[in-house]
Amino acid sequence: MDISVTLFGGLRHFLPAGSSFNKCTIGIDNEASLEDLLQKIPIPETKPYIVILNDEKVSLENYADIKVQQNDEVVLLPPIKGG
Amino acid sequence: MAWQRQILRVNLSTGSCAIEPLNMEWAEAYLGSRGLGSKYLYEEMDPAADALSAENKVIFATGPLTGTMASTGGRYTVVTKGALTGAIACSNSGGKFGGELKMAGYDMLIIEGESEKPVYLHIEDDKVEICDASEIWGKTIWETEDFLANKYQDPLMRFAGIGQAGETLCRYACVVNDKHRAAGRSGVGAVMGAKKIKTIAVRGTKGVSNSNPKEFFRIVSEVNARMTDRDEMSRDGTLGMIDVTNGFGSLPTRNNRSVRFEGANKLNPEAMHTPNDSGHTNIVTNGACFGCTIGCGRICKIDPNHFSVKDRPEYHGASGGLEYETAYALGSACGIDDIDAATFAGFICNEYGMDPISLGGTIAAAMELFDIGAIDEKVTGGIKLEFGSAEALCQIAELTGKGEGFGADIAMGSKRLCEKYGHPDLSMTVKGQEFAAYDGRSMQGMGLAYATSNRGACHLRADPYGHDFETTEIEGKAEIVRDSQHAVAYLDSSGLCLFPGGCGWGLDDYRSLVDAACDSDWSSEERMNETGERIWVLEKLFNLKAGLGKKDDTLPKRILEEPADVGTGKGLVCRLGEMLPEYYQLCGWDAEGVPTEETLQRLKLS
Ligand code: SF4
Repeated sequence: MDISVTLFGGLRHFLPAGSSFNKCTIGIDNEASLEDLLQKIPIPETKPYIVILNDEKVSLENYADIKVQQNDEVVLLPPIKGG
Repeated sequence: MAWQRQILRVNLSTGSCAIEPLNMEWAEAYLGSRGLGSKYLYEEMDPAADALSAENKVIFATGPLTGTMASTGGRYTVVTKGALTGAIACSNSGGKFGGELKMAGYDMLIIEGESEKPVYLHIEDDKVEICDASEIWGKTIWETEDFLANKYQDPLMRFAGIGQAGETLCRYACVVNDKHRAAGRSGVGAVMGAKKIKTIAVRGTKGVSNSNPKEFFRIVSEVNARMTDRDEMSRDGTLGMIDVTNGFGSLPTRNNRSVRFEGANKLNPEAMHTPNDSGHTNIVTNGACFGCTIGCGRICKIDPNHFSVKDRPEYHGASGGLEYETAYALGSACGIDDIDAATFAGFICNEYGMDPISLGGTIAAAMELFDIGAIDEKVTGGIKLEFGSAEALCQIAELTGKGEGFGADIAMGSKRLCEKYGHPDLSMTVKGQEFAAYDGRSMQGMGLAYATSNRGACHLRADPYGHDFETTEIEGKAEIVRDSQHAVAYLDSSGLCLFPGGCGWGLDDYRSLVDAACDSDWSSEERMNETGERIWVLEKLFNLKAGLGKKDDTLPKRILEEPADVGTGKGLVCRLGEMLPEYYQLCGWDAEGVPTEETLQRLKLS
């Protein structure tokens, strides 16, 4: 199945080629976990980010347990400061 | 050397201008800028005096790194008693004015007394004169700068001053320098207006020296190389934050009725960078303050076909555009998703000299008053002040800048406005100052930081961001808020900007630069922490003497009692009541939030 992932801020650098301004579509197996999905996006380990799945923040320790569903919306946010 | 070791004191009541030696004992204890300016203010005025009286002083304070080659070393602070808050105000600004003041030979400019007639100050190194401002009083900041630039014919002369909002004593009038950089918060511009000083024109040719320039250059280069993560700030500015807070659920929306805005994607970096239907792109380029290698400033243009500027070519040029805070205040806070309207209201803030955060926060409160029927079109002068109305925002912004019509009510700030119309709980303020762009329910640490901020609600007095985006649990937040309040006080006193902290620099990088700039040893972490804490506690002491106390270290009822509607903090209120006692205790303050004798002695404040 195809899942739409939105990457904000500097994370946009790591979108696969051919993506729109900040969105990409990632193809994964039906039983795939959130962790499997995230592994398909080449964000280096040195770049921490926050995952929002269907409007709710997901904790790092739950990435492997959560199964991604068709029509899920995944958003990756950089932890930046504002002014 | 870093410090110029002299200050300029201008008394507007007597017309005297005097150059005095800098108190180096204080400079060694309070570093510069925010800290040193606060020390002078604390020692020289009665904190209980009215902010708009002749007794108040306005201090333009640079830091030891202002005007040096260190990246972002162009910052200065305006320290005074805030017209909006009645608390100590220290509003930090960038641009090129601070460096110029320092190069004219002054660490600090102290303005005291009040003038009978409008005046401006003209400084060229040692030549200082108080000049008649009758030709520029009543003019906008942009017109004033153009007029004086034309008069003095020196392209390197810099200006910091007020517009009509300051003249008409708008409670959140600000000081704008370089046309769109502002010492924005707490009403420092109203204090200038009350003193009838329109602007400061400065030109400096003395440079800023260093005892060991070779070593200083080496450290600056070394630290610069560690600024490895600035692309995002250069490209998106602080605006990138809007997607983070909106996704997380901490973007204040419609006067904090919600924490997520459905129109955020029309105000975000993508919207700013993407041409609209008529092919107009909001952003033109980025801009940088003196010596800055990041350049987070947004230089933007309003679509010339937009209703706000149609047939008004004077607004078709490029100027300072939306940052994250302005996009919130003039956007989501009012339920407005029109990027051109928000940009226009931002231009008006720069032109007339108003803090956009407080303007937007006050308009948002007025929109809620309108929504619940507490005010109507008779009160607003026929303006349909509905959430989401871009037309109302643009109209009200201009009226407020001029102090006309219902704009005179908006100029009071949201606290006074909501009190006047019988709904004080609808004011999203702390100590009378409007919230910044974070909601204290999903970001509990920010809630504590707002409540305890010495200058009223502020997102730049502490650094709870990382932990807040990590967890909504309150454990550990009091300590993070306390420690970062001290760190930020130190950084603000250096003459550098806070934003390199998000671009790769750590506290040790700032410390290396301060140490390299100053003659005495500033290399230790202990000295940094102690200096930051001393500044924080001194500000607190000022506020206590001004009559503020524990009752003012609080949040609006909405944040304490109405749960957040969506997002990560859904169902939560701010647990301030649990965090505050722990915070006071960690600070070494008693249960009423008063520093204990032991704490004062430790910080050499008693
Ligand atoms: S990072 Fe931005 S605000 Fe800070 S000095 Fe640079 S341009 Fe100015």
